[in-house]
Amino acid sequence: MTKLVPNPNESAWKENLKVSFPLDLSYIPIGLACGILLHAAGFNTFNTILVSLLVFSGGAQFLIASMLTINSPLLTIVLMLFFLELRYALLGSSLSKYLHGQNTLFTFFFACSLNDENYAVNYLKFSTDKKWTPKDALQVEHFTLFFWTISNLVGSLIGSALTIDLTVVHFALTALFLYMIVMQLKDLLKVFIAFLAAGLAIFFLVLTKSTLGLVAATLVASFVGFMLDKYFRSRRHKTHKKSIFLKTFKNPAGTPKE
Amino acid sequence: MKWDAMQHFLLILLCFGVALAPRFIPLAFFRKRKIPKWFMEWMEFVPICLFTSLVVKDIFINQSYAFSISGQGPELIAAVLVIGIAYWTRSMLVSVMAGLAAVFLLTFVL
Repeated sequence: MTKLVPNPNESAWKENLKVSFPLDLSYIPIGLACGILLHAAGFNTFNTILVSLLVFSGGAQFLIASMLTINSPLLTIVLMLFFLELRYALLGSSLSKYLHGQNTLFTFFFACSLNDENYAVNYLKFSTDKKWTPKDALQVEHFTLFFWTISNLVGSLIGSALTIDLTVVHFALTALFLYMIVMQLKDLLKVFIAFLAAGLAIFFLVLTKSTLGLVAATLVASFVGFMLDKYFRSRRHKTHKKSIFLKTFKNPAGTPKE
Repeated sequence: MKWDAMQHFLLILLCFGVALAPRFIPLAFFRKRKIPKWFMEWMEFVPICLFTSLVVKDIFINQSYAFSISGQGPELIAAVLVIGIAYWTRSMLVSVMAGLAAVFLLTFVL
């Protein structure tokens, strides 16, 4: 029986490595892909390492690579990136309540290595594990950053040694986003909102002819989701029946561990 | 125009700036203030909408920002496959690897 009790002497960093490990592993193929694409776009190995450390965003780095290959001017790339990264304002705000009382320097480092995937892990840990501290969260970020950077470095080196079909490599990011969408689909309302976002994304992207369309689609679709959620909740209050839209799906892989 | 390493370096620094600002400013701002409840409820829907938009852009929108699915057969089929695998396994690694393998094989077949 003693084996089932978590060992309090086990160092926290090992625990945090365990938490971040599935993410670390999945960063390897994506990081490799990104390194290969950056190399194809003309980045040398040093710059590939630097961009992985400083920007640390699969989406952003894929975007830089693809815009460099179509010879976009510097300012356009930076502007596009700004709109792509704007979403972190929303992700960051939703994590901020867990960082109450942290100093500015800590917040700065936390912001530097925040990205979609470690956000998802940390948000889940913060909301389900009362013992999860900002320090643990930062360590998870750093583990993912480490694996990401090394994978990019190796990808850059592979890119200089081999020729690889880039369309296949590019799909790594799409697959990653698809996975993250599926993880968010907890009820029928979310499925509906995902479809709405898809439709709006096509509409706004074609309309604006820029990634600004992504921001517009996200803002509108998420706001509709918020309003519908409010509406179903208030109706439940009156009828004492839970709307089928808000019923939580069964998890096919069994009950979540957390 | 062919870029040199120094221009790439400058690009990275600028990208660092625009990537950091939206991550740091709200995080620092709301750290000391209470976030309104409606805002948090709204934020719950943001990730799913953003990821869906990004996937849609990758699969259905071409380089000149027009709707197009020509030549996207392998990606479309692989995307459906990834959704299924993600749903059943809940594993990021398995989902991504299966997706890559599927696109790789399907580009040969189609």
